Amino acid sequence: MAQRSEQADRVLDLARAEADLLGHRYLGPEHLVLGVLREGGSGASQILEANGVNLAAARMELRRLAERGLVPGPRPSDAELLGALGIDLETVRQSTEQTFGHKALGWAIREATRARRGGVGRVPRTPLRDPPMLIGQVLVHAGERARALGIEVIGPELLLLGVVTDIRTPWPRCMNNRWRRQLHASVGLPMGYRGAAGPLLQAFGVDLDQLGGALLAELGAGVP
Amino acid sequence: MSEAAASSEVTQVAAATSSQDPEVGLAAVAALRGLVEVLEALQVENARAKGWSWQQIAARLGVTKQAVHHKYAGRRFGFRR
Repeated sequence: MAQRSEQADRVLDLARAEADLLGHRYLGPEHLVLGVLREGGSGASQILEANGVNLAAARMELRRLAERGLVPGPRPSDAELLGALGIDLETVRQSTEQTFGHKALGWAIREATRARRGGVGRVPRTPLRDPPMLIGQVLVHAGERARALGIEVIGPELLLLGVVTDIRTPWPRCMNNRWRRQLHASVGLPMGYRGAAGPLLQAFGVDLDQLGGALLAELGAGVP
Repeated sequence: MSEAAASSEVTQVAAATSSQDPEVGLAAVAALRGLVEVLEALQVENARAKGWSWQQIAARLGVTKQAVHHKYAGRRFGFRR
């Protein structure tokens, strides 16, 4: 399994920050595009800019996608929701972790949120865990590309190539189950959400073939 | 929109929790449930590790023995301390 570069980790952190800024309570491929642009120091961001995609315009476009209902509008965070009820989430997290330990808390989070047949006591997510990362397929594609190209470290270019591949590949059927639908609904995503990077890039008239080719060229792999 | 403006926007939405907007009120309840489920799993596991019976645990939780047993027993219960 290829490692992510520091720059790629920075892209992920900035993608989370961008999701937060939009009031989105999940991390999707569309936020990764924003993360690449905000990080700004990679070949991937230059390629996006060359295709007419810049950070300010992409943020604006995601807000337009929210108006069209393809992504959620701004929603309060769990900490804010609980705060309004007089519960300080951070205090609960700290006191629970101090009492039972990090490992036990991690176990309880998995126990409470895992999918199970009976559905008893199941919650799709908990405020005690970070917002759901819906970029699993992107990371899988990025890893596969890295392996195919013989690259050991995944940087922003491979992440973006993962996004491009994700847009063009249907999500596997195992991703379409009741638990996942509940998870998506719980963060306000519309039914049938499969990532919104496609509509985002489409709004800028980006040709995915050309974008993929440019990324491969940047990676030194030539046009496929 | 600036970062501060976006943040104050969601804070305002959150402040409306005690209002009658179901969109926000229900989200707050869901967040609370997400918290409660984790705390319950932790406490039940802790009680079992300390030798409590399902009957005793159910009594404290105010549910039937069957309910708590159905929810927690018969699975890879607990973790290695």
